[in-house]
Amino acid sequence: MRILIVEDDELVADALKRGLAGAGFAVDRVGSAEQAEAALATEEFDLAVVDIGLPKLDGLTLVRRLRRGGNSLPVLILTARDGLADRVDALDLGADDYLTKPFELPEVAARCRALIRRTRSATSAELRIGTLSLDLKSRTAELGGQLLDVTRREWSILECLALDAGRVVRKEKLLRAIAGWDEELTPNAVEVYVSRLRAKLGEAVAIRTVRGLGYRLDEPAP
Amino acid sequence: MNPRPDPAPAGSVARRLLTVLLVPLGGLLLLALLFDYLVVVGPMRSTFDRSLTDAAMVFAAYVREAADGRVTLELPPPVAAQLAATQGSRPRYALYAADGLLLSGDRYLPAPAGPLREGFSFSTAVLQSGERMRIVWYRFQASQRPLWLAVAEPIGDREEATRPLVTATLTLDVLQIVAVVALVLIGVRRGLRPLLEFRDELASRSAGELEPLDERRVPIEIKPLVSSLNALLARVRGAAEAHQKFVADAAHQLRTPLAGMQAQLELLERDAEALPVRERVRAVREGLKRLAHTAHQLLTLARAEGSATLERDFVTVDLPRLVEEAVTQHLDRALEKRIDLGAETAPAAVRAVEWLLRELLSNLLDNALNYTPGGGVVTLRCGALAGGAFLEVEDDGPGIPPQERPRVLERFQRAAGAPGVGSGLGLAIVSDIVALHGARFELGSGQHGRGTRARVEFPAERLREAG
Repeated sequence: MRILIVEDDELVADALKRGLAGAGFAVDRVGSAEQAEAALATEEFDLAVVDIGLPKLDGLTLVRRLRRGGNSLPVLILTARDGLADRVDALDLGADDYLTKPFELPEVAARCRALIRRTRSATSAELRIGTLSLDLKSRTAELGGQLLDVTRREWSILECLALDAGRVVRKEKLLRAIAGWDEELTPNAVEVYVSRLRAKLGEAVAIRTVRGLGYRLDEPAP
Repeated sequence: MNPRPDPAPAGSVARRLLTVLLVPLGGLLLLALLFDYLVVVGPMRSTFDRSLTDAAMVFAAYVREAADGRVTLELPPPVAAQLAATQGSRPRYALYAADGLLLSGDRYLPAPAGPLREGFSFSTAVLQSGERMRIVWYRFQASQRPLWLAVAEPIGDREEATRPLVTATLTLDVLQIVAVVALVLIGVRRGLRPLLEFRDELASRSAGELEPLDERRVPIEIKPLVSSLNALLARVRGAAEAHQKFVADAAHQLRTPLAGMQAQLELLERDAEALPVRERVRAVREGLKRLAHTAHQLLTLARAEGSATLERDFVTVDLPRLVEEAVTQHLDRALEKRIDLGAETAPAAVRAVEWLLRELLSNLLDNALNYTPGGGVVTLRCGALAGGAFLEVEDDGPGIPPQERPRVLERFQRAAGAPGVGSGLGLAIVSDIVALHGARFELGSGQHGRGTRARVEFPAERLREAG
């Protein structure tokens, strides 16, 4: 998985490059929006990490120009400001996620992985989270190469959680995903299926309960 | 503060206009009333007097001296009847000798007060019966001897005759006074209306509304005032925007190197072979993290102050979504500390500066996670209140003793014995943000008197939004 870092600050860029490389990504780095456009025009990337405060052309303008040019490359925006305006602007302009400086490197890596995974799941039928792999077409799951025995409802919940791995998925959403067969389901049903899934998944991936909100599927740290 | 004595208050323009207009106008109208009375009543009085004089001359014409020297006055019945017809009633008369001796006629009429001059003179007298009379005195010669004749008619008759005219004239005058007062009142009010509308527009603004006032709609008299106000508003707006920009620039200049250093130290810690080196790098990293946190808090405080003046930053914020975001953002820290972080949300929305509310919740949650030991429970709540809404963060940590609660809201103050590191700015930021939103902040104990419950209550939406 190849990432382009667009960051003018040497210290930050260097740390990002080393950190993401250490997390298993292939990383290239440029220092300006103009260089980024040149690099993206000639090379293939899976994701761009873009700083908002670039010299001359800023990061938001770069994202807008990319989207206007029909480029759907996932973009993670980095900013030193924490205002709502920037955040809204960034997401409105077509950025996919947003991180405020200072950040922790594992968090950057996790966000990058999640963004790439989500983009790929739109085009490919396979979803990989650690040793867990889901085939969205045949609706089957494998754990460490072994076919996982899950019911249809368990599968629906697992799929929902995996597509948004690392993010909290609301219980209502999970309920809607399984309610298709039986309208009488209560939120408790979700809890039952989640606990069954936990038993089947073991240590490979963790399904965390977020009390009052829902669940989050976490992949193990690499 | 001000060494000079307070100047006299300028008072109300409307009141001053009314005083300046109504007092002289009222005086003038009262004068006119008096004048009308005199103009109407004076001539009528002389007309009545003249007719009384005529009557006196008729009486005088029938004074006869008998052969024995007695003087008599007897009107022939047709003359008496005609006189009664012209006068409205039969006039009363009395004839006196020059020494005041009554010779003939009505003895109830008053005797002359003293010697009369030749010709006619008039007086008014009240008879024993209580009747007020107008009397004409006529001194004339008959048979070479001076005689005094008094002819009297009741004043009541005259008043009855003149009343309609006087009444009509005075009624008109009073109506005129009422009309003038009403016109002045209406005129002053209408004349001042643009001024009052301007006042209402100003009064309805909130502190954050710095948009210029519409100069086209104000009267030219106060246009210079409005222009100066607009210039002032523009300056304040400019200052607020410059402040925002400065803070944004400062944020960028501070955060970027902090981010670089922190990430570099993270890598260094990972790569360090020797354990002592790794521990020292970790210590430096922790210090840097604290510095970054404090810088963030200070920037938040600075931005919150600037943002207070910009009304356009206020939007409708969905509280359950805000709570969900905060929980999501702090979930990793909670998991790390084995704290059960959860939410209990009910639909609610407030009009607020969204990023400030996010900071508020983040600070409260930060504190809760800091002070709650592993295995504890932290719960975020939100919901609607009568017209308003609330946000709440509750933990089952050690709690804050009641006597410490007011102090922890001050900047750089931390609760006694507070574990871990903190800038001591968190709750100060919270109380600033609470004040900016006109909300109420309450620091209490959690359920069963354990832990801490921080609660923010937002009042019912301001009326302006409804109207």
